[in-house]
Amino acid sequence: MPASGSQLSAAKRPKWPHVSMGIALIVVAVALTVGWQILGTSGGPSLAREVGTLRWVVYLFGSLLFLLLIGGLVLIVILLLREVRLNERQSNFISAVTHELKTPVASIKLYLDTLRMRDLPESRREDFYRTMDQDLQRLNSTINNVLSAAMFTDRPVADPQPLDLAKLVRRAIELTRTRYQLGPDAMSYEGPESLRVSGDAAALETAVLNLLDNAVKYSGDRIDVDVEAGSNGDGQAYLRVRDHGVGIGRAQLPFIFNRFYRIGSEVRRSRAGTGLGLFIVRSVVKGHRGTIHAESPGPDRGSTFTITLPSLLEAAAEPEHV
Amino acid sequence: MSRILIVEDEQHLATGIKFNLEMEGYDTEVVGDGGPALEALAAAGRGEGPAFDLVILDVMLPSLDGFRVADRMRQAGDYTPILMLTAKSLPEDVVQGLELGADDYLSKPFDLTVLLARIKGLLRRRDWAQGGEGSGLEAARIGDAVVDFRTFEIRTGERLTRLTLLEAMLLKLLVQSAGRIVSKAEILEKVWNLSPETQTRAVDNFIARLRRYLEPDPRAPRFLHTVRGTGYRLTL
Repeated sequence: MPASGSQLSAAKRPKWPHVSMGIALIVVAVALTVGWQILGTSGGPSLAREVGTLRWVVYLFGSLLFLLLIGGLVLIVILLLREVRLNERQSNFISAVTHELKTPVASIKLYLDTLRMRDLPESRREDFYRTMDQDLQRLNSTINNVLSAAMFTDRPVADPQPLDLAKLVRRAIELTRTRYQLGPDAMSYEGPESLRVSGDAAALETAVLNLLDNAVKYSGDRIDVDVEAGSNGDGQAYLRVRDHGVGIGRAQLPFIFNRFYRIGSEVRRSRAGTGLGLFIVRSVVKGHRGTIHAESPGPDRGSTFTITLPSLLEAAAEPEHV
Repeated sequence: MSRILIVEDEQHLATGIKFNLEMEGYDTEVVGDGGPALEALAAAGRGEGPAFDLVILDVMLPSLDGFRVADRMRQAGDYTPILMLTAKSLPEDVVQGLELGADDYLSKPFDLTVLLARIKGLLRRRDWAQGGEGSGLEAARIGDAVVDFRTFEIRTGERLTRLTLLEAMLLKLLVQSAGRIVSKAEILEKVWNLSPETQTRAVDNFIARLRRYLEPDPRAPRFLHTVRGTGYRLTL
């Protein structure tokens, strides 16, 4: 079974790097202090005066230790700040998942209780069943996202298989249209009929669905998403998803692929989500040795996400428009 | 017919709650964020529509969260009872909500029957605190302060203070038990509707607030005494 995201991240770096570094720094500080004390009280300077070069060696060594101390302190502060940010993100994630799991459960329970408690006409019952079905889909999607974040790591795909990326993207578009009940113009596809790549179809489908889901969620009132796929001539396949929605601020761009990252405070939930979507996309793309890139001209001016996959198997067939 | 404001951004939940409350004979209005909720309450306060008897308030909202809505309502002198309804169910969330002015708290997912019972309970508690049926107490004098439980007001000379539902209920319980020690557990159960074992400083904070309203010198209380390790006693 693949290692979870958190396991992998724990394996990559020591759990408490700042603690071991702090201990090392204390040792350096003690060595520095004791060294100066010994030199000051046990005839060190006179010894140094006798041997001129030794004095310079002692000064040089002392200065190096001092610089090491300062550098170490700076590093510790940076590591602690990173730890604090990660804790904040984890706490936000727990709030977000709590909300994303409990809200559809609460809704399903409310409608079930209503159906049990009240004598309702058939048309009303049908409405309620439909609502419950949509809540179940939302619940399922959150569960899948949490599981995907644990399953898809940056490790190379274990057993890549030939697959048709163009077909996979078109199916993902259809699923997203159904899920959000979008009209045919809300999401367009431009690309070849077939685009053969090698990879993990389930993982890639999850990644593409997450990208489309994000594009819809962050589109604002008017949903207009352009999806483009193709080969870029040097053996790479690409997929580009462009929305015309709320966009991303320059300050947020470097962080959007981080796990648990969500823009804004969690108690104010402007959009549903757990902060795992883009992290999953990046993990899947990295697992395929591909790249992912996000750009936005700024808030309210839309965003574009481009992924490339190096495992193109054959040149693209004729382009088609959906 | 009681009128209830539902502040919930999750459309399915809002629709389901609205449907059930209307089936129970309540008049309802739904808003999806804190800002519109405050606007609806302010408009009702200006007489631009019927007043609300209760607010069902979600905590996680798109721009202005439920905690801040409750706080701003109380700061603006709006004492409409609030039932907080939210996915956040940790004890500290419950206490934060109650301290910011919520009168009851229900975590998601909830039983429909429990929700309906809590709403009835809150409306009944408000009627009870206001000296309605069965409560038998409409006003009280504590030193120089005159408490009017119908309007939730304390008048001390020229100074007029408005009480929240919970403050009024706590004061009423103490007035009705005047001379007797009322334990913290009894207060938690009767006023907050919480288990007597709940660990919270909310009661102490509310007693401190009541002292500020009633006592000439809150640091040396003449009427509202703390009986160390046991509870509180009001002497009239």
